[in-house]
Amino acid sequence: MTPMDWTRQPGLLKGRTAIVTGAGGGIGRGLACALGLAGAHVVIAARRAATGEETAELVRRDGGSALAVETDVADRAAVDRMVAAAVAAFGGVDIAIHNASSGLSGKSFKLEEITDADWDEQVDVALGAAFHLAQATFPYLKDTGRGRFIVFNSSQGLHGGAMNPVYAATKSAQRGFVKALAREWGPHGIVVNAVAPAALTDAAKVYLESDPERSRQAMASFPLGRMGDMRDDIGAAVVALSSDYWRYVTGLTVPVDGGYYTAL
Amino acid sequence: MEQDVSERGVPTDEGWLRGRRVWTVTAGVDVVSGLAAGFLDHGARVAQLSDDADTLAAAPEGVVRVSGTFDSQPAADAGVAALAEAAGPPDLVVIGMLPRAAMRLAPLSALSEGEWRLGACDGLRALAYVLRALGPRIKDRGVAVVVVGPSLSLVGCPQLVALTTLLEGQRGMVKSVARQWGGADVTLNWIAAAPRALSPLFDAAPLAAKPDAVSVALGRPLDPRREIAPVIGFLGSPAGRAITGASLTLDGGEWMVP
Repeated sequence: MTPMDWTRQPGLLKGRTAIVTGAGGGIGRGLACALGLAGAHVVIAARRAATGEETAELVRRDGGSALAVETDVADRAAVDRMVAAAVAAFGGVDIAIHNASSGLSGKSFKLEEITDADWDEQVDVALGAAFHLAQATFPYLKDTGRGRFIVFNSSQGLHGGAMNPVYAATKSAQRGFVKALAREWGPHGIVVNAVAPAALTDAAKVYLESDPERSRQAMASFPLGRMGDMRDDIGAAVVALSSDYWRYVTGLTVPVDGGYYTAL
Repeated sequence: MEQDVSERGVPTDEGWLRGRRVWTVTAGVDVVSGLAAGFLDHGARVAQLSDDADTLAAAPEGVVRVSGTFDSQPAADAGVAALAEAAGPPDLVVIGMLPRAAMRLAPLSALSEGEWRLGACDGLRALAYVLRALGPRIKDRGVAVVVVGPSLSLVGCPQLVALTTLLEGQRGMVKSVARQWGGADVTLNWIAAAPRALSPLFDAAPLAAKPDAVSVALGRPLDPRREIAPVIGFLGSPAGRAITGASLTLDGGEWMVP
């Protein structure tokens, strides 16, 4: 894989402020680093202060501007505080990305086995937090005239995976949220989209490296033959989606997945 | 199977529904009364479980009516058990779960946390409760489950963000459970129907399509009794067993997805 050359598009998002939830690690960290390389001020909303600060440090090490705010996205008051901190630090919000997901997202459940507590945890983060972030950032996204609201989704929101019906349902629900909100916020100049990534997360690496044959079979389902780098593939696509180049695209779920899901 | 021709001249196959037991399970907005009439027209025996007195009152004559709620697993279990006792085991289950709270027209910014939960989340959980209550009664019996919702969720509806979120979530759950229960000979499908064919409440919704924006191929309203019920009957018939996890858009050719 050829590394992404970030110097070719310097300052694509210069002067804009981007919030990323769930940015204490994984895909969120990749997004934060990519947005920082593109010139955005990055607000890292992470459940744990230490991991959020680690991400902020990575952004700064690449010359970017970052603020880490400890945030439980399921808590409306915490989201309000995080957005207020972003506005205080950088003067507004141009891009809001809901990437956080429940730790139960990757767990397999039969429908019959899901407890009310499991249900609540997943729904609170997937849907409750999307609602919180949308409401809290709306006044600022409206003000900028180039607002972007992006929800991190999954191929399971498209094809409905067998693994976890709550995950499939909440990811599909997020797609409905995006479609409706794109229509509602369009008159305010706010673009709303979802991204369904296939990212080579640390968990995916461990899973694939544990069984080379399983890895080979899995990679065969990706026309590009690999899963995406969190910063240089997934993050780069989000930078593009956040930029003016994609300002006329709204209400979509964009698979950023190496060609895995082509049924749209 | 014998052929019939309806009043509109549309060929139908009464055999798909004749003598079959159809359960309808609904919460909130009545989206099934017209369908129930269509099932009866084609010779089905219909029983209805609903949490809404108006829906039960609107059920056509001949429908077995059972009242119940879906706000907890025990409540859903009890409702489904009462339905089974009153009507016997089903061949086809038609579900519509649209809480009235989801129908409030308002921008997202005006919704309270409680309104969001009632509108976007509770109907999703209620569908899970109902499916779980149904599971032991329909697995390994060749039963078809069809969940019905307005097609507005396919394209998104402003001022109904919670409803759109709920419907797409339900559609995703149908796909996932179709995968989990396929091996138990249960099919689950989603019907995305023209909103106004399901309920007059959608007359007030700011639907995405207006006649001057996206043309509806058939250019006329759909009749749920004559035009949607038979398709659901097909899904519940032996001829429809290969279809599961699908979203069928019955909107007269509005969105043609995708």
